[in-house]
Amino acid sequence: MSNHFFEIKEGNFVASEKNKVNGVNLKIENKGEIVSLLGPSGVGKTTILRTIAGLQKLYSGEIFLNNKLISSNNTHIEPEKRNIALSFQDNSLFPNYKVIDNINFGKKRSNGNDFVYEADDIIKLLHIESILEKFPHQISAGEAQRVSLARSLMSKPDLLLLDEPFSNIDQSLKDEIQVSVKKLLKEFNLTTIIVTHDSYEAFSMADKCGIILNQELKQYDVPYNVHHEPNSIEIANFLNKGVFIDVKVVDSECAVHRLNHKELGEIRGKLSNNFPSGTKVKLLLQPEDLIHDDQSKLKLEVVDRKFRGTNFIYTLKTKNGEHLPVFVHSHHIHQHEKSEKFGIKSPIYIDHLVCF
Amino acid sequence: MNKYNFWFFSTFTIALIVTLPIITVFFSFFSETSNYFVILKSTFLFDYINNSLLILISVLFITFLVGVISAYFISFYEFPLCKFFSWALILAFAIPGYIFAFSIIAFFENYGTAYSILTNIFGEHNYNPIIPKLDGVLGSIISISFSLFPYVYVLTRSSFFFQSNNYIEVGQNLGLSEKETFLKIILPSARPAIIAGLALVAMECLSDFGTVSIFSVSTLTTGIYNSWISFDDLNSANQISFVLLIFILTLLSIEIYSRKEAKYHQPGRGFKPINKIKLSGKKALLAFSFCLLVFLISFVFPVSQMIYWTFKFPKYIQDIDLLKINLNTLYLVGLASLVLVIISLFINYGTRISKSKILNYLTNFSISGYAIPGVILAVAFITLFSNLSDLINENTNIGSIKKVFIGSIFGLILAYFIRFFSLSFNGIKSSYEKINNSIDESAYLLGYSKMKTFSNIHIPYLKNNIILIVVLISLEIIKELPITMILRPFNFETFATQAYIYASQDLIEAAALPSLFLISWSTILILFSSKYILSQKN
Repeated sequence: MSNHFFEIKEGNFVASEKNKVNGVNLKIENKGEIVSLLGPSGVGKTTILRTIAGLQKLYSGEIFLNNKLISSNNTHIEPEKRNIALSFQDNSLFPNYKVIDNINFGKKRSNGNDFVYEADDIIKLLHIESILEKFPHQISAGEAQRVSLARSLMSKPDLLLLDEPFSNIDQSLKDEIQVSVKKLLKEFNLTTIIVTHDSYEAFSMADKCGIILNQELKQYDVPYNVHHEPNSIEIANFLNKGVFIDVKVVDSECAVHRLNHKELGEIRGKLSNNFPSGTKVKLLLQPEDLIHDDQSKLKLEVVDRKFRGTNFIYTLKTKNGEHLPVFVHSHHIHQHEKSEKFGIKSPIYIDHLVCF
Repeated sequence: MNKYNFWFFSTFTIALIVTLPIITVFFSFFSETSNYFVILKSTFLFDYINNSLLILISVLFITFLVGVISAYFISFYEFPLCKFFSWALILAFAIPGYIFAFSIIAFFENYGTAYSILTNIFGEHNYNPIIPKLDGVLGSIISISFSLFPYVYVLTRSSFFFQSNNYIEVGQNLGLSEKETFLKIILPSARPAIIAGLALVAMECLSDFGTVSIFSVSTLTTGIYNSWISFDDLNSANQISFVLLIFILTLLSIEIYSRKEAKYHQPGRGFKPINKIKLSGKKALLAFSFCLLVFLISFVFPVSQMIYWTFKFPKYIQDIDLLKINLNTLYLVGLASLVLVIISLFINYGTRISKSKILNYLTNFSISGYAIPGVILAVAFITLFSNLSDLINENTNIGSIKKVFIGSIFGLILAYFIRFFSLSFNGIKSSYEKINNSIDESAYLLGYSKMKTFSNIHIPYLKNNIILIVVLISLEIIKELPITMILRPFNFETFATQAYIYASQDLIEAAALPSLFLISWSTILILFSSKYILSQKN
């Protein structure tokens, strides 16, 4: 038995030799939480969702929902009896029914769930009013995805599973829909697991985020911690937000920990993991960690500059060949060209000193 | 799910039933050789093979020319009545080779229709010496060619359609003339489709029994029939069947391979449909005349000949029990369609939900049924159940089971099942494959059981396809001759058997009315399904 709303205990999920995830332990404490599972394509995220939904058998371990064992070595409750909705990534709309009829299919499952909302509200929220009378082959992939989501919501599930729910939706609409859907899920206290390979989506939608890499759930934490305190080099590399530089721990005893880099000098902050003074470690340096300062005496050579809309990412080169990324707001008073010297505020202060 | 479950055994049983004729023929080949077969081998067998090959090669040549040229004109050019011809040319499917043969005989025989026309125009004279006699091998070649060319036409036309305008524009951009574009770009791209069409023509041609029989040409199929009917030698019949089956199965492999190749020529994104060129003057006249000539020969000629005869010899209208034959046809079509569609749905559904590779593999055997010529199937069927009955008689007191299978509606439906299961199964499968698996899974997650998913989601989606399959099965059964002829219950006639019986009794003019009914039913069914037959995707 489980004391949590949803729990996977030592779950081994297998779709094929390559596509499997082992030893998954994941808890959703309370009803209404939103969890995202983040990982590269083909890592087995969808396999987990399909197994939770009952479309595939659990290889080993246990899955509980509402204190009830739904999957284990010996137990497999059929998908139609789980009251779990899964919104597929590809088009899974019934081709011979209109959009509105597809949505109403969701209504047919009535389980006396305590939240009540109307189809009209969901239709409006997902911007699909204009396509209700169309057939699935007459609508775009993004629209189909929204209809599929509406149908799943209408089925009033105990647990909602979303497989890359916004992958086909235009960027201009995506942000708005993400906000609306999150608001709706929270309003109706609907427990949801979202699978995605987009870290922004995973962080913005979820209360907790799981990172799946190399057939394992590597980290399961609140999005802020996953981003700022990845618990392994491979997660940091996967999130692809920074680089690792060689530093030496100078002081790990005081309230503010101090590190030293040969060229950048002293780096202050709070170590995520404890290392004794004198240890040589690798520090994760993210683009937002270094602050541009024209007046600073600490200067590095610009080797690349990328325009990213709201900001530029400068790549700076140290004397021993390390390449460091730095964000600069795109409204910054001037720009630096390649080979120019670029000032960095010193001493450097980083909230979370993530070292391995 | 356990590999060897209910679905496995059901599919295995169906695959076994469908392959029974091939198994029977195979074992018969290695059984004792009769005296008749020894004589046959040293005398007529090579004639059978020679005639079959001569007809085959000639038919392939004619169907290639007629099919490809008409598809080319209709796909790439606009000329008067071009839209009409695009579907009118498939009406030739409504005319079986043996009815075309009746028409040729009626038209070119001494004092036949051609004689009457010449007399009416030019007055009394002995025109018989100047009217060509299209009989024997030549008559068979023409009859079979004009009843089968639509296979090449339909597949080539579909392939031409898939040739994106981009390719043609690139050809022009590289400085190729219209003729060079056709020969160097269009024709090579359509090659797999043309070969697939020709392979179908070849299979049907080698399977033909009615036409060659009407023209008294000895081929492998008539050889099989005669060994059984004239010499009561089922073993020899099966041994000749074996030779024919080798040819047929080789062609079947070519057809399957070519179809796979043809798939690569289907358009992806950026597909631009062909811009038809508007023809005028002599070019328009040439395209129009060619298509008109093909339409007149393949459809108008046999139909008008049958109408002419029906009215010229009205006494036969009273001799034929039209109502009974219509009901017999309806009965056979209804029963066979029902059995075929239900079992095809059942096996397709089983294969789908069990997701078994073994089942998929087993269902591939079902393809073999359609390739087996009707006459081989019927003779193998009789061989099998005669042997089975003898075996049961020797070992039990049950009595003969022959009457259950031979000369009974049950046996006839079983034989149709073997022959047409592939058509029905694959027809439903092609539509079923379009239903994404996640659609089933969505239904389960919305609380639908497997049965409810089948009835509420699958059946409504497959409905139109099922109707189409019924139409195609009906079309085949209405035209089917050798199986019905050999296995039907005593005195149970269809339009095909009635027409053939009259023709074989030298009452060829009496065959006109049943032929006309057969053509009418077939034409209605073709018009009903023409949208599918001419669909660019098929």
